[in-house]
Formats: sequence, C-alpha cells, structure tokens
Amino acid sequence: MQSEATIRRAGEIPVSAAARYNESIHQDTTARLFLASSITYFFIVGIVALVIAAKFVWPQLMGTIPMLTYGRLRPLHVNGMLFGWLLAADMGLMYYVVPRLCGVRLWSEKLGIATAALWNVIILGAVVTLLLGVNQGLEYAELPLPLDVLVVVAWVMFGANIFMTVATRKYTQMYVTIWYCLGTILWTAFVYLTGNFATLFSTGVNQANLNWMYVHNAVGLIFTPVGLAIAYYFIPKTSNNPLHSHKLSMIGFWSLAFVYVWTGAHHMIHGPISQWLQTISIVFSVMLLIPVWAVVYNFFATMRGQWQQLRDNVPLKFLMTGVVFYLLTCFQGPMHSLRSVNAIVSKTDWIPGHAHMAVLGAFSFFAIAGAYYVVPRICKTRLYSDALANWSFWLFLIGGVGFFVTLWLGGFWQGWQWNNPAIPFIDTVIALEPVWLVRFFSGILMFGGIVTFAYNILATMLGPKGNQSQAALATA
Amino acid sequence: MLRKADYSAPVFVAAALGLFFIGGLLTTVVPPLMDKSWAKPFENSDAAKGVTGKLQPYTEQQLQGRAIYVREGCWYCHTQQTRTLLADTKRSGWRGVDAPISTPDEFVYDSPHLFGTKRTGPDLSRVGGKYDEQWHKAHFRNPRDLVPGSIMPPFPWIANNETEFQALVAYMQTLGRAKNWRPDNDYEK
Ligand code: HEC
Repeated sequence: MQSEATIRRAGEIPVSAAARYNESIHQDTTARLFLASSITYFFIVGIVALVIAAKFVWPQLMGTIPMLTYGRLRPLHVNGMLFGWLLAADMGLMYYVVPRLCGVRLWSEKLGIATAALWNVIILGAVVTLLLGVNQGLEYAELPLPLDVLVVVAWVMFGANIFMTVATRKYTQMYVTIWYCLGTILWTAFVYLTGNFATLFSTGVNQANLNWMYVHNAVGLIFTPVGLAIAYYFIPKTSNNPLHSHKLSMIGFWSLAFVYVWTGAHHMIHGPISQWLQTISIVFSVMLLIPVWAVVYNFFATMRGQWQQLRDNVPLKFLMTGVVFYLLTCFQGPMHSLRSVNAIVSKTDWIPGHAHMAVLGAFSFFAIAGAYYVVPRICKTRLYSDALANWSFWLFLIGGVGFFVTLWLGGFWQGWQWNNPAIPFIDTVIALEPVWLVRFFSGILMFGGIVTFAYNILATMLGPKGNQSQAALATA
Repeated sequence: MLRKADYSAPVFVAAALGLFFIGGLLTTVVPPLMDKSWAKPFENSDAAKGVTGKLQPYTEQQLQGRAIYVREGCWYCHTQQTRTLLADTKRSGWRGVDAPISTPDEFVYDSPHLFGTKRTGPDLSRVGGKYDEQWHKAHFRNPRDLVPGSIMPPFPWIANNETEFQALVAYMQTLGRAKNWRPDNDYEK
C-alpha cells in the first residue's frame, strides 16, 4: 500500500504522520453506496442517451408516446448524467479521498449512508417527474421545487460530513484535492441557490442571466473543481509520482475561484442582453485560460519521465486522456465566446460536441479512473478484469472522439449555412442527417464503454473478496 | 498570503467565498440595476423612433399554451431570440422585410424565459402570425407531412386535444408580436 505522502512533494508532509497512518480505519460504506448507485444510473441513462440520439435519425421513433418524446427524454438524459451519474460518483470518490488526505476516518458514516439514500430518492423522483413532463423550464434546473429542496438538504449533509472530517484532520496542511473539494461544496451551495431559487423571483432577461450564471457555473464551479480534486489525487497516486508544483496548483485554484463566475452571459452573446455584460463575459472567458493551463501544465509535468506507465495502467489512461480533453474543451470555451466565432458556432450542433467533451471526455473520465482505482481497494479484492477495463477505455475513447469530431465538423458547417439566409432552414436540417447517424453509432460505442465499465465494477463489488495480494502484485 | 489558506480552513473559506462573490454580485445583482430595459415592458407609439407596438401581459389561455411548450420541451430545439446578426434578422423576416432584433423589454413577462441554447429547429422569436391554425394542427400531427425532411417529433396528443391545441397556438401567435413589425398588419390567425 502506497503511503498518502507519495502524492505530495517530498518534505511537505511530516514522515511520522504518514507512518502512523493506518488504512484499516476506513469503513467506506458511503463511498461504496454512492459509487454503486451512480454507476447503475450511468448505465440506465446511457440507454436514454441512445434513444434521443436515435430520434435525430428516426424522428418518428416512439413518437406517439408522450412520456418518451424527445422533449421529455432530453432533460432526463442531462439531469440523469449530471446528477445521477457524475456528481454522485464524484461525491462517492470524495467520501473515499478526503478522509485519507486528512488521516482520519470519515466524520460520520451514518450521515453518509443517509445522504446516499436521500440522493437516490432525489434521482428516482427526478426520473418520474421529468417523464411526466413536470419541468420548470430552465436548463439544468428542470426539477420541481420539492426536489430542489431535497438537493439542498443532501448537499448540506454532504458538506457537513466533509467539513467535519477536515476539521478533525491529523495532517495540518490541506492538499490541493481538499481545497477543490471544499471549494466545490461552498460554491455549489450558492450557484445552486441562484439557479433554482433566485430565478423564481425574476423574469425575462434578468432570469436568463441568473439561469446562465448557474448553468455555466454548474460546469465551472461544480464539475470542474470536483473533477480536478479527483485528478489531483489520482494522477500522482496511480502513477506513484509526487505532484510537480504546489505553487502552480495554487495559481490554478485561486484564479479559478475568481474568474469563473463572471462568464455566465457568454451564453447570450449577440442576444437580447446588455452589450457591456456580454463584453465582460468575453473578457473573463478568455481569462479562463489561466487556471486551465496552470492545472494542465502541472499534470503533464507530474508525468514527466513516466509516460511509459500509460501502456498498461488503465486508470492513468483515463486520467491523462481526460486531461487532454479538459485542455481542448477549455480552449474551445474561450474561443466560442469571441463574437466572430460565436456568430458561427452558437446554437449549432458544435455545442453538444463541446459540452460532451467536458462532461464526458474530461470529468467522467476522471470519475471512471477514480472508480477503477477505488472500488477494488474498498472491496479488499482485485478488479474483476483488467482486460475488460482496457476495452472500456478504448470504447469510450473511440466513441467519444467520433462523437465530438463529427459534431464539431457538422456544427461548424451548419453555422456556416445558417449565416447564408438564402439557404432554407430545412436544407440545413437535411444536410446534417449523416452527422447525426455517425453520432448515433459513436453513441453505441460509448454505451459499450459504459456497459463494460459498469459490469466490471459491479462484478468486482459483488465478486469474491480477498484477492488483495494479487492486486498488490499486479500494481507493483 | 494565500499560503495561510493551506493550513487554516476558516481562512480558506473566507478567501474562496470572497473571490467568488466579487464576480457573482457584479454580474447578477448589479446588471438589472444598471440596465432598466430588463424590467420595463416594450412600448413605442412613435414611428420615427422605430418599430411601434406594446408588450401585453399573457392571457390565461396563452399561459396555458406556454406551459405546454415548457412541458413538451419545445425549447430544447427552438430558440426565441433574433440576435444582432444579419442572418437572424433575415431568417426571422417575412416577404423581404427583416425582422427587428430582439430586445430585453420584449421578454419582461416571461417566466420561465425561453431564449434557448440550441436551434435544432428554426428560431421562433418572430413566428407569431406566420402560420394559421390549420397549418399548426397538421404540423403537430406529423411535421413531415408539411415539411419533408423535418426531424421535429410528432405531437398527436396535442393535435387531438382541442383545449391544449388552442392554448398552444394562442401562445405561438404572441411570439414577436409586441413589435408590430410586419407591414399592413399581415399576420395569420
Ligand atoms: C427535436 C427537436 C424539435 C422539437 C422538440 C420541437 N421542434 Fe419544432 N421544429 C423542429 C424542426 C427541425 C423544425 C423545422 C422543420 C419543420 O418545420 O418541421 C421545426 C419547426 C417548427 C415550427 C415552424 C417554424 C417555422 O418558422 O417554419 C414551429 C411553429 C414549431 N416547430 C413549433 C414547435 C413546438 C410548439 C414544439 C413543442 C410542442 C416543437 N416545435 C418541438 C424541431 C423540433
């Protein structure tokens, strides 16, 4: 078992504290519950994803059943993937990581189990209400008020558990992962309240502005920081390398804390919102390159001289590919905000290509890597199949790249055509049919990735225990 | 200074929230205070100052139609904003007349706002009065009957429910009508 000290720079953690540390204090029930349920939703919502991709090619599909119309399945797909899969998986990983970085056990395993139960109630409630067409009409904030309130309660329970764990920590210095985790908890609270409650007291452009503040920061101040928390922990951990630079990680974190929240209005560029606000959002969107490049440089430099490990270390493959996707998606984002680029790509199919690279390509890859690393350890066994894990990586990668690239090309072409008003709109729809067909088949590959991943993890969880020694041999 | 935040959770919390709130407040609370057009309904009776018209609050029936539009997720495929792009004003236009650009004062009564992010179908910000009821009925029943190659889903349960259908069409016909932009009042009912 590697000591927690390996992920820090030499000398930053007192050796005695690391030596006193004992892995067996952790119970990890909460982490296990969150991971198991999130991976199940990943699979179920993956089916929904395939159905809506198919509807672009065969629009009549299930067309007479109100519950299965595109407009009801799409929010189910988005909310299911964001909150059922990704956020829950991230929370599960935080329940594993934070106690270890603090050298203590989770503050309250009981509270954690209750949180997991509540989270599942919320997700099931979301499935039912969205299929029934109960929808607040605001993106990412579709869930009705009672469920929003439950989300807030669950978030406070999660936050209290993590903060109390940090408050009782044995190691005085908080590693980067802890900053990102605490930041996520604090910012999410305000971002979520803005998007789901403040919007109820406003209308029109004012409401849209609050809505985009939420939508943008759901990605920028929820999924980004918790995703980076995971990457900062698991990249050094799985490669057995200390993090390259503490100073760079500080620059990355504090610039993210300052810059992200300004950019919401870039969703309305050229739209009916004050020009000066659009300009502010553009300036800050471009400044996002600072936190992103600081973080990515740090990760690459950590891997210096160690790239050969990518050959057979599956979690590391997911992590480093995720870092590349993160770099690319966060290069696209600032570029889209420039007025000239925005005039072409905004509202086109380019945008789902971009969004999927962030949420699937970067942050889900981080979470998947975390699950592959963590689950065998908390189940005190070895991964059910290393070969299957490798398959899942290639399916996700090929499916993902196919998806992103076809949508970028198709979306760019679409935007180009829209800018020529002589082309009737319907011709621009028909022109994209091949693109949507390729997207559907890429989706099947990605779904294959989900199936192999989910099967592998669940088989590890439910399979026989006690292959620990073999696991240790395999990683040695 | 931020090094302190590595060791002290209270310092960390104060710094993380402080930095967040600067941008958070300046971009959400301040803008509506500065730009009054966000809250003042459109009204202009002076043709010299541009297109005339007045934004009306929604009727009961129109609100019901709007709720159906939200329920069925029309807004995932249709935007409602004619942007400051030449192509947008032309595409939303009618018989050679360019549609006026959307302005914040046209949306004061909208909640939820339905500006949208994706144009799988055309923008609907000026669709009010473009088609008559008959057209909409056939279109909801099966879009491909009217527009071959369309990927809009069929909505037979709306077309077959007269109350819902009437409400939805009543709402569609309000879209973009605060500004009386078509010459000779040339709108379908
Ligand atoms: C899957 C995406 C999708 C959904 C959901 C959708 N539409 Fe459409 N819509 C389209 C496409 C594509 C077109 C263009 C082809 C056509 O006219 O059928 C269109 C066209 C239209 C038009 C004609 C616009 C014009 O200027 O010619 C109207 C009106 C319309 N839709 C209303 C609605 C309403 C109301 C709903 C919800 C009940 C809805 N749409 C849901 C994709 C969608």
